[in-house]
Amino acid sequence: MTLADRDSGLLARDVPAPAGDQGAGCNPPASPPSPGRVTASRFAAAGRAVRFGLWGLVALFILVPCVCFLALSVSPRLFDQGPQWFTLAYLKTIFTGTTAVSIVDSLWVSASAALLGLVIGLPIAWLAGRTSLPGRRFVSLGMWLVLLLPSWLPGIGWERLVVKDGVLTRFGLGSAFVTHAIMGPFGVVLLLGLRAVPFAYLTITASLAGLGQEFEDAARVHGASRSAALRLVLPILAPAIWSALAIGFAESISDFGVAYTLAYNSHFSLATYQLYAAIDNFPPSFPAAAAIGLVLVASVALPLALQARALSGRSYAVLSARTRQAVRRQLSTKGAILATGCVALFFALALGAPAIGTVTGSLLADFGASNRVTFANYAGVLHIPGVSGPIYRSLVYGVVTASITVVAGFMVARLLSRRRTRSTAMLDFLLLATVALPGVVFAAGYIFAYNLPFLSRIGVDIYQTVWLLVIGYIASSLPTNARVLVGPVSQVQPSLHDAARAHGAGPVRAWLSAVLPAVSRPVVMAWLFTFCGIFLELPMSQLLYAPGSPPLSVAINLNVAGYHFGLGLAQAVIGVAIALCLVCVVLLAYRLLAPKGWRRIGSTVRG
Amino acid sequence: MCAAVVVGAAAGATPALAAKKGNKKVPLIVYSAQGYDQAVVHAFQAATGIPTELDTNSTGPLLAQIQASKNNPHWGLLWVDGQTAFAELDDEHLLVKHFEPKVKWNALGKKVIPKDQSFVPTGITLMAPVAYTSKVLKNPPTSWSTLLSSKWKSDVGMNTPSQSGPTYPFIAGMMSYLGSITKGKQFFEKLKANGLVIHTTNGPTVSALASGQIKIALVQSTAAIGAEHTDPTLRVKYLSPTTMLPSNIGIDAKATKTEIAEAKKFAAFVLSKLGQAVMKTGTPTGDSLYYPVIQGIRPRPGLPSLSSVKVQHTNPYVWGPREASINSWFVNTITK
Repeated sequence: MTLADRDSGLLARDVPAPAGDQGAGCNPPASPPSPGRVTASRFAAAGRAVRFGLWGLVALFILVPCVCFLALSVSPRLFDQGPQWFTLAYLKTIFTGTTAVSIVDSLWVSASAALLGLVIGLPIAWLAGRTSLPGRRFVSLGMWLVLLLPSWLPGIGWERLVVKDGVLTRFGLGSAFVTHAIMGPFGVVLLLGLRAVPFAYLTITASLAGLGQEFEDAARVHGASRSAALRLVLPILAPAIWSALAIGFAESISDFGVAYTLAYNSHFSLATYQLYAAIDNFPPSFPAAAAIGLVLVASVALPLALQARALSGRSYAVLSARTRQAVRRQLSTKGAILATGCVALFFALALGAPAIGTVTGSLLADFGASNRVTFANYAGVLHIPGVSGPIYRSLVYGVVTASITVVAGFMVARLLSRRRTRSTAMLDFLLLATVALPGVVFAAGYIFAYNLPFLSRIGVDIYQTVWLLVIGYIASSLPTNARVLVGPVSQVQPSLHDAARAHGAGPVRAWLSAVLPAVSRPVVMAWLFTFCGIFLELPMSQLLYAPGSPPLSVAINLNVAGYHFGLGLAQAVIGVAIALCLVCVVLLAYRLLAPKGWRRIGSTVRG
Repeated sequence: MCAAVVVGAAAGATPALAAKKGNKKVPLIVYSAQGYDQAVVHAFQAATGIPTELDTNSTGPLLAQIQASKNNPHWGLLWVDGQTAFAELDDEHLLVKHFEPKVKWNALGKKVIPKDQSFVPTGITLMAPVAYTSKVLKNPPTSWSTLLSSKWKSDVGMNTPSQSGPTYPFIAGMMSYLGSITKGKQFFEKLKANGLVIHTTNGPTVSALASGQIKIALVQSTAAIGAEHTDPTLRVKYLSPTTMLPSNIGIDAKATKTEIAEAKKFAAFVLSKLGQAVMKTGTPTGDSLYYPVIQGIRPRPGLPSLSSVKVQHTNPYVWGPREASINSWFVNTITK
């Protein structure tokens, strides 16, 4: 039992359920309903309708495309991808040869990466959120930058650093041991682990924001040391920690950027690469890819089962009107130096190597043959006809996707943070399974599901329109978005909403005035998180973009994979810079425009 | 609603919108992996007034789209390098036959025209010349067999066929030249034993050459010659035989009659003098560095002469059906 469980005043189950939370089985009123009850009843009905609609949308845009694709593994004929209506031949292939090895490798690599992400992300979140860490304001920005980088960029960066005659060798720092270590499983785990850090950081930071000072104080008052207090407080963050692990695992197992670059060039084949190779070969074998996809989906059952087992029967609702601002701990000089060094080391590994990759790639116009630095590639980018079109499109797609996804993600997170039922458990699995599926699976699933001849005949012809692309973006972003929000949303006590209702606010106003301030910061984070993920998204964009309207990632890929490697990297750097500017603008706008009370939640005071 | 308006604006005018504006012509959807495609599409639209939507992508995703949507295809015309995919699409009856424009083919062009004219060549590139850096290498290899000597241990790099469209024709070409698939496999296994370095596509392989990771890159001729513009010390040498990799146009057999007619006009335009001129200037350091297939059209200046090198063509209808299994073997044996 956690501290939260013991504090009966903070337990969700002790608070009368708000009208919107009542189930379908409420007893009807015996007397004519008062206007307030009628409103509550309407609100409850609206809540049910929203939940029903949400499930419908999840089924339509997540379940159906995924099922359509995965079904090919046993029934290729379903979508004219082979002669058999039913076969186990493709499933058998995942237990043999290179595919089997790559799947096993993917499983342990992803588990290790998720753990590494948590081990690094949790302390950084704590240091930045609860201590006087020098330069802590830049930690968040750095994390967004790590998130913004498409995962192939760190892959290329590390490769260029350590390969034979690479950058380290040129500076006399080359080492066969380092090359061997990075160009192998260790390097792959390291890169994926570094990629998982922002997920852990953001998830835990969002939950830390709702964790007031009172728990630590209570422990200290009862004589607990700092470390003992920490041991008591950490379990309250369990939803966020498990969410971070689950997302880290699912994101790592579905990652294609590292699998395509560092892992592939290290002859360390991962499942996502095998899946991609099955599709990219000609003729493409969608059934073989679907069989690998099935394994990826099944693999997320493991972290989910562990998460469910760890969290079952507990409440983590700790954010209430009585939550006290946390006190920022003053680090000693030695502690500050050590902490800053560790955080700096993380950013050096996560951002420094990709930076070197882009420096050698984009600032050396001769493919890196010399050390002569030139801006020729950047000048070249400006001369590409219609260069601004893909950037503008990706910005718009990112903004629209993030805005819609964050609303849907919040509603899904609210469903998931309630008492666990079979329905929410299924939703949880479905969403995380989707995270584990590479974007290319989603995209192909959309083609199979929404390009059926009968749909065209009835006028539903959305394949290769921008609508299907944006729907795909939203559907693929929703699971991670909801996961990020589950932690903070589960901390919000229903009493906040009830208090506002008791003071005469309507349901919507009560939500806006009592709940939104408490979750505004995580919502902004989730928005940025989605935007960053979509801005340079490639696999889905490649297969679904509307002809004539390529997003930025497609334009970059054509240059990087083709003849203009440096030009493509320069385009990527410019794209990342633009997106980072937008992130800064959003964070600044929140700081300037959000009411002081909103920003106070989750902030700290000097200790 | 706002989102809808913004997304619509970002996407630009859609075919549906064009139709509402009173434009009766069906937009021609061009799937292309050619660097000069945008320039050619603009010129085609200007010359004919036919609205054309371009899906420019790598060859792999384009073929994946075609395969996934073959029950309800949305493409009108496919324009990519290599003939094996076309041969397989033809075998699946997905291509319009006998649409060859009336043009005068040159000797190279005549070699690569399919009998049933289910696709037409638009230019020739080669796989795989030896690209090297003159400041590192003074005496490049002179034959394919010399690449197996210890002198070139860990110095040779090439692309993987699972990600690089032009690489399978090279592998098939080597197998054809050596006399059998088995002998071809043995060649690549020996190359691997000699430290063959595999990269994904042309760009990373040329980059590895320039940075010194490898000394010899076996890449597409357009990539190697184009890289000379970026790195003046880079040189290109053809080893005999070198395999032709034609760029081709095929037309979707399930497209509407109007779209098929438009696609035929597009093919004719590409093979016209104007179309060839646009192709040759579209990407001067990339795909524009091709050898023409039409009489009277000269290649861009600076392309090495083919007079002293044996140029071979592999039958796509023979080597096409073998592509999946050979690529799979390569990925599992050589790339691994």
